[in-house]
Amino acid sequence: MSAMALRSLNLPGVGTKYEFETDKGDTVAIFFTKTGTIQMYTLQKGCHTPSAAEMTPVEARRLGNILTGAIIEADQESVEIAFSALADLRVTIHTFYIPKSVAGKTIEDLQIRAKTGATVIAVCRQDKNIINPPPAFTFETGDAALVIGESDQIKQFEREIMVD
Amino acid sequence: MEGIVLALFLCLLLALVTKYLSLPAIPFYILAGVLLGQAGLGMVQADEISKFFSEMGLLFLLFFMGLGIKPERIMSNRSAVLTSGVIDLNVNMIIGFIAAYMLGFSLSESLIVASAFYISSTAMAVTSLIENRKLMLKESETVIWLMVFEDLILIVVMALISAGNQNLIIFFVKILCVLGVLYALAHYGKEFLVSILDRDDELPIIFTFAAVLITASFSMFLGVPETMMVIALGVAFATTDPDAFEQHARPFKDVFLVVFFVFFGVTIDFSGGVNWFVIAVISILAVVSKLISGILTGIFIHGSAMSGLEIWANTIARGEFSIALAVLYGTPLVGTTIAVMVIVTSIIGSFAAKYSTFLRRGITHMGRRSGPSRRVHSGR
Repeated sequence: MSAMALRSLNLPGVGTKYEFETDKGDTVAIFFTKTGTIQMYTLQKGCHTPSAAEMTPVEARRLGNILTGAIIEADQESVEIAFSALADLRVTIHTFYIPKSVAGKTIEDLQIRAKTGATVIAVCRQDKNIINPPPAFTFETGDAALVIGESDQIKQFEREIMVD
Repeated sequence: MEGIVLALFLCLLLALVTKYLSLPAIPFYILAGVLLGQAGLGMVQADEISKFFSEMGLLFLLFFMGLGIKPERIMSNRSAVLTSGVIDLNVNMIIGFIAAYMLGFSLSESLIVASAFYISSTAMAVTSLIENRKLMLKESETVIWLMVFEDLILIVVMALISAGNQNLIIFFVKILCVLGVLYALAHYGKEFLVSILDRDDELPIIFTFAAVLITASFSMFLGVPETMMVIALGVAFATTDPDAFEQHARPFKDVFLVVFFVFFGVTIDFSGGVNWFVIAVISILAVVSKLISGILTGIFIHGSAMSGLEIWANTIARGEFSIALAVLYGTPLVGTTIAVMVIVTSIIGSFAAKYSTFLRRGITHMGRRSGPSRRVHSGR
């Protein structure tokens, strides 16, 4: 079997199975059962007994967030992260490309926090990352801004700041 | 009416306890019925209401089974389904039939006993695979497809028995016509059906309930047994959105099926010439015979008798379908025999499934000690 070949299979009465073999020869299998739980099995190369973990959908999503490295990998789209342990706190991170109308203005000029409640936590400028830009930071065309907030605040940011 | 309330209350308690101990609930529902009914305290009698509820339970069980049968999926797994299925069918049907006939059942009774003896409980097999975290084992796929094959055989058996003295050709032409009509309805009305199922209000659940009931009552006009019609309805609806139908039919199935199991227990009577020797032999053979078929399947499919042990552990339990056969076609004596067999096999089965890993390890260990020394595997 070639590595990373993801096999998906519908098991009647049980649910859906996803299985793949890693480069190193270990096997990972995930089952979405009809009872609503998710079971993950890992089988080390050369072993015969898999070990299993059963998760609720919320737990599985948390695991998924960790595995995808959601925050770092997010490029153009937005990612919502639910912190299920903290009363289901949901935070959205969204990437915006700075339009011409915003170029040359500072974060202070735009009154981002006051108008929208969202926060610019990072700006990507040609392969360089500026983390926590100060209020006097000036945007340039082609910048990508990483904005964090609740989904309503993100929508507000899009309406108020990203206007052409 | 008080009878049903009492029975339901007892079942609620039993459901709580069995879920907590992760034991199968079905044998305890039957035992509760036996305790409350004719054979026990005599506190609960079957009446019109309980009969109606029980019948609903059976209809929804069969409708559910029909929903799970997806012909195209079975065809794409033909070889996997066939080899194991044929071994399982032959071994268990033959042992069950010969045993029943030699122990004094008539030919037609023996056929019912053998079918109930053959068919494992799909519900308990699936639950045990999930709860014991065995889904990744290669044997579990075999077990799952075995259950599908058994469902197909059950349909054939039910068709053969209920055809009875009728002209077989006319009977099967009727069933094929019904299936054709239902398929056409599901095919041409697919968008309509899906639009109903997608709604958030009470419509999908009313529709599902009504569809099953209307189909069952309509079967009288056609002279086709309602069991066949309801399975056919499930098979036809499976071409639209089976998951939605399962979701909407599940509450009915779960509740009515409990009543079905309890009142099956209630009607059991140990007084009328029950031969405990016969019942014991059938129950023990039911466990042994699945061991034989399991080991043969393990050797043929996975090349290992040890795999067969795993298959055996998960298919010992007989359950809902064996009882359905007893209720539909069994004499009281057949019913009692099947009841005890279900209770014995499901309890043994649940323990075998839970401890099969230890069992396998124990046997491997003993084999190593007596055989030539092999390298011991790492891992647990």
